[in-house]
Amino acid sequence: MTDRNLPLNPDLSRRRFLQGSAMAGVATFLAACTGTKTGSSAAPTGAEPSTAAVSAPPSVEPSPSVAPTPKVVSGPLKFANWPAYIDLAGAAGDAGEYKPGSSPSLEQFQKQHNVKVDYQEKIGENASFVETIKPALVGGLPTGWDLVVLTDWMASKIVANKWAEKIDQANVPNCTANLRDALRNASWDPGNDFHYPWQSGMTGIGYNATALKNNKIAVPTKIADLWNMPPDKVTFLTESRDTFGLVLLKLGVDADETTVTPDQLQQAADAIQPLVDGGLRFTGNEYLQDFGQKKVWGAMVWSGDLASSAGPDDHFVFPEEGTMIWTDNMLIPKGAANKYTAELMMNWVYDPKIAAQIADYVFYVSPVKGADVEIKKIDAEAATNPLLFPPADIVAKQHKFQALSDANEKILNDLYSKLSGT
Amino acid sequence: MTAAAARAPTGPTFRARFGRAVPYLLLAPGLFWLLFFYVIPAIQMFTYSVSTGSLETGFVMTFTSDAYGKAIDQFGKQFLNSVLFGGAATILTLAIGFPVAYTIAFRGGRYKNLILFLVIAPFFTSFLIRTISWKILLGDEGPLLAPLRHGLGIFDNDLPILGHGAVIDGRFSILNTAVAQVAGLTYNFLPFMILPLYVALEKIDVRLLEAAEDLFANRAAVFRRVTLPLALPGVFAGSLLTFIPAMGDYINAELLGNPSTRMIGNVIQNRLLLQNDYPVGSALSFMLMAGIIVAVAIYARLLGTEQLTG
Repeated sequence: MTDRNLPLNPDLSRRRFLQGSAMAGVATFLAACTGTKTGSSAAPTGAEPSTAAVSAPPSVEPSPSVAPTPKVVSGPLKFANWPAYIDLAGAAGDAGEYKPGSSPSLEQFQKQHNVKVDYQEKIGENASFVETIKPALVGGLPTGWDLVVLTDWMASKIVANKWAEKIDQANVPNCTANLRDALRNASWDPGNDFHYPWQSGMTGIGYNATALKNNKIAVPTKIADLWNMPPDKVTFLTESRDTFGLVLLKLGVDADETTVTPDQLQQAADAIQPLVDGGLRFTGNEYLQDFGQKKVWGAMVWSGDLASSAGPDDHFVFPEEGTMIWTDNMLIPKGAANKYTAELMMNWVYDPKIAAQIADYVFYVSPVKGADVEIKKIDAEAATNPLLFPPADIVAKQHKFQALSDANEKILNDLYSKLSGT
Repeated sequence: MTAAAARAPTGPTFRARFGRAVPYLLLAPGLFWLLFFYVIPAIQMFTYSVSTGSLETGFVMTFTSDAYGKAIDQFGKQFLNSVLFGGAATILTLAIGFPVAYTIAFRGGRYKNLILFLVIAPFFTSFLIRTISWKILLGDEGPLLAPLRHGLGIFDNDLPILGHGAVIDGRFSILNTAVAQVAGLTYNFLPFMILPLYVALEKIDVRLLEAAEDLFANRAAVFRRVTLPLALPGVFAGSLLTFIPAMGDYINAELLGNPSTRMIGNVIQNRLLLQNDYPVGSALSFMLMAGIIVAVAIYARLLGTEQLTG
């Protein structure tokens, strides 16, 4: 008890604890790995947990990893992605839910490189997924994932914190050649040292036609129409940037990540509050289940999901006020056990043929040049689908609402926290 | 006697010393349990609650009460929800559980064990799965509402006379309301009420009830003057076992409620696990714990602590 007057830093013990528990996880993970390479590379981390805990910034020096990446395929590749975000065939395709062996692109990759891919639909929203790997990242430990897909704002934070492995461009020739020009030079990673886009998409409105017809409510064309439905039959998104962005558009405010003011954010929150009082809910990708169970009549949704994974009655509309545009990006988390295989996967999905195959199922905007040409060969109809290839009038009304200033982000988080009751 | 006196100067034998230590040794597991799983975490939680910082920079104890201010300021409603919904669930489990326990104890006969088994049978399934299945049961197109909504399958939705939905209108739903949430809490904690009640009722000597009847008490009076007071320890234990976990529960609110019905458990879960806001999360946990201790103390006082030993 006498040492209580020492500067008590609870973080130390917590971090040490986290390391201990993460270590156990890593050990089991490694035991499951077949690759011998990974075992030896992680051993030094396990041998000195206490020293790593004492040095405040954990020893995650961005090693000059470009050269020494061994070009050895190892696996299984642990790949975390969002639901309904890769091509699926057969029953899994109809159900819109990934099952091992149901994705032609992944199957072809496994055959090509003779490696297993452990693909999991683990990400329903950015924040809650990243919180599951953050303790490991902060502690400088492997997260257990080799490839994750995160939206711009979160991806930029991961890169800024040096929590991503640097991509060896020599291993990803397809990416360097085929990344669409509009997506190059992202402010947070201009040279694509750490990320390559997975898909882009828009946030708009989804509705269930039957439910609206039965209840004599007109099909929504504007964001404001969501206010004409019973609030307990409507869901907004837990991705607060999407929700607030669309509400700003509804209020006639230009939702722009650089010019938005705290006042405008407050106005948006005030517009949402009455709906929350009436039973509005916030969801991540689970809105697909709500649509499946006919629990929602109208919702804020991401552009491709309803087309790929919902019922024939569920439709997406580009609201008159405009849409939010965003990009989800592939990143290799720091300490990934199978970095080279992850790079091979990045390269694989940037093959226009594979990109077309994926885009044809997920109904999002492919970041790959040449996917539009390839898709004509497999599905002529898809080549004119506005979800995949948004026409000029839709593009003109796309708004970026991702890179908020720290001050605005804090305000947004507080406002959203109040609305969502947590 | 003389032999003992002669041996006295050499000090107590090992046997005697061991004998004296026995009570403490027997208490040790319990004390260690309390120390490791209650006292130390409570101290830890308190230090976090008066710290500032973030997961990235580390938390430093600064003895600020900011977290408590924010917790009270922002989450009063969720505290209230916890008390309301936890309280409602406790009252409902008591209302449902008492007759069940009474029937098992006094009318169960040779089926006693079977009925008790049936009470706990659903609990061989995970808590989470049971709660998720309520989502299906109470869903808009679930087995409860779908028949009412679609006119028991006889009428079509669009019949002009009946409007949409034969018995209830198309808007009506139970899932994601406070009703669903309290129903889920009640269901999930029901056995925690029934089992202590059963134990208390089972112990009642039937001759006491007969004696009351001999003294011309009618059945209501027997229940009120004899059965109920003797069952009070069970009521006390049952309501504690129900109310305390129900107050802190977040699964039911998360799966069956909506943003307006969130309880303090949701906030704590969100702050600690999602936002890494340890100070506010810890402050809320600490306040919840303190609140429960005070509430239990008052409750024990009202019902009489000696009943606890029952």
